Amino acid sequence: MIYVNEIGTYASSIVSFFIFEGVPYETVKLILMLPIIATLIAFFRQVVGIKAFGIYTPLIITFAFLATNGLKYGIAIFISVIFMGMLMRFVLKPFRLLYLPRVAIMLTVVSILILGVLTFGGNMRRTGLASVSIFPILIMITLVEKFITVQIEKGNKAALVLAMETLFISILGFFIASSPFLIRLVITHPWVILLTIPVNIILGKWTGLRISEYWRFKEIIKKM
Amino acid sequence: MFSYIKKSRKILGMNSRNLEYIRAYNLKENRVLADDKLLSKRVLKKNGITVPDLIAKIKNHDELEKFDWQSLPASFALKPNRGFGGEGIIVVYGKKKERDDAWIKADGSLITIEDLKTHIRNILDGSFSLAGTPDIAFFEERLRLLKLFKPYAYKGIPDIRVIVFNKVPVMAMMRIPTRESQGKANLQQGAIGVGIDLASGITTTAVLGKGKLIDYVPGTRMLLSGIRIPFWNDILDLSVRAQIISGLGYLGTDIAIDKENGPVIVELNARPGLSIQIANLAGLKERLERVENIKIKTPKRGISLGMNLFGGEVEEEVEEISGRKVIGTVEKVRLIGKEEKEIEVEAKIDTGAGLTSIDTTLARELGFGKTIDEFQKQEFPADISTEEARMLDSKEKQRLLKEIPDIVDTAIIRSSHGTSYRPMVKIAFIMNDVKITAKASIIDRSNLKFPIIIGKKNLGKFLIDVNKIINLSK
Repeated sequence: MIYVNEIGTYASSIVSFFIFEGVPYETVKLILMLPIIATLIAFFRQVVGIKAFGIYTPLIITFAFLATNGLKYGIAIFISVIFMGMLMRFVLKPFRLLYLPRVAIMLTVVSILILGVLTFGGNMRRTGLASVSIFPILIMITLVEKFITVQIEKGNKAALVLAMETLFISILGFFIASSPFLIRLVITHPWVILLTIPVNIILGKWTGLRISEYWRFKEIIKKM
Repeated sequence: MFSYIKKSRKILGMNSRNLEYIRAYNLKENRVLADDKLLSKRVLKKNGITVPDLIAKIKNHDELEKFDWQSLPASFALKPNRGFGGEGIIVVYGKKKERDDAWIKADGSLITIEDLKTHIRNILDGSFSLAGTPDIAFFEERLRLLKLFKPYAYKGIPDIRVIVFNKVPVMAMMRIPTRESQGKANLQQGAIGVGIDLASGITTTAVLGKGKLIDYVPGTRMLLSGIRIPFWNDILDLSVRAQIISGLGYLGTDIAIDKENGPVIVELNARPGLSIQIANLAGLKERLERVENIKIKTPKRGISLGMNLFGGEVEEEVEEISGRKVIGTVEKVRLIGKEEKEIEVEAKIDTGAGLTSIDTTLARELGFGKTIDEFQKQEFPADISTEEARMLDSKEKQRLLKEIPDIVDTAIIRSSHGTSYRPMVKIAFIMNDVKITAKASIIDRSNLKFPIIIGKKNLGKFLIDVNKIINLSK
């Protein structure tokens, strides 16, 4: 038996096996996509020099985007969360709170904000926004902790840059993971995800300058 | 394009640093030492390396409650043990008068015991530590800013980062806190990084924050190149010895110079940043590769190797670039007076004085006897207020300039002895092969060590190096 997906792709026998054993097609697709997105993030860090918030955050945000109904709602929620994180830092600064209570207050405020955004969306007849499922929203809310940690360590500006990098990688990841070509590839030839291992070994041994470093050190190269 | 890539191979990037240097030369067990400030302090001290004195430490909330605040001195620095990037550090400069529960911070604001307690609770909870793990807070002595650095640094204290690899100092920079970095000597936060020539300890090029090349301290006319870092050999020696003690093959040492105790190691860094390359406008990778496989027996050998390989003829270079000669605080000068009369004396270089002044007797020898006699005939009062002197000057100046021979100007000079009204004559002097024409005020300096001081107005063509000692036999 061979599974045929919504765009008429014939899945490989192993993928069909997963699906007929009861694993939902969407889940199989996303799990097979995960190593590719992870490798993409590693590539961006090691070769291009785009850092983002580590590997986990952009990965999970990518999947949150995939799970929200359309990219624009995902981006809207992402930006609201980051914006609130920045605003609250100034609001909470004079109180000099300990770390965890401070994060808890942030989460509270962000939750209220998100609820507001969703209601507003519903009110504007943007039903797509209001019907976003809870898990991607939770993922986005927890983004605020990552943001605060970086804010404390490296300051507002650096945190904002990293947030934007995360957003960039996640958007790119979203398009890659929803490209029909790649979906067809992982469904028909699921073993290609094993290729990410040698690719990552090469990335892990890569000692050349990152593309961003050519820019960072341009004055030195000029003076040599 | 091809040469661009070839040149870029001399630069150390993040990937290479992590994989080929930190991973390869800094074992985890040794990295632990660098990340634990109290531990590295103890180990360094035991091995005879000067570190800032520890005043007290607070390990947990219980100790915090029992802490005797009155045992703290008037000034101290409070730090998290595993802090990074200068975060979480509070420095106080003195106790508030008539209050035993408050100190004064760098910006003049007050900090009370309650404030300190909240801050320490944050430290204990790990707000400033890597990965947010619970931490220890400690108090250490406050380092006092060297006078030389005062005009450059905003609030905080500059420190010197030296990268040592395989017992060889390979690159160094001075980090100067700015308004933008809020007194922290951290480039990421907007401090200034100034490259240092390894052989001489003289600063070269400078970068503001992450990548903006600058010549002056922003908002001032303080030139950043040509500063000679005092105790340079000691700084390199401390760094190399610290590297050997720490067991870290690739180490960044942070050294501050205390006004009284000289250079001390503030921190060891097992993952030193890459911006030092921009401050020096030189690639680190090329340097590391050159010393990687050399067997070096003693710190001394390592230092002289580093100086020879990576130091330039910077003194001449500074003079060449700036077009200015480097002089010390005392210099021999050849004075040229009236009718080309030449006298050689030792002059004090005094940037605290605006104008050059010479001693009466010396002025007479230079041929200004008549000028002095005529001026003294006026019988102006010797000790007057500045206000009176101004009145006197506006009334008498024109007449004096007309009547007294060789007088070119008058000067009202305020000093610790009070205000004096003085005649000025035109002299020339040759210092370090540069001829300067100057207006000098004449005053009795017979009870002072130097018969002439050279003031700011006539020092524009020189860079002053406080460590340079003149060779009197020359």
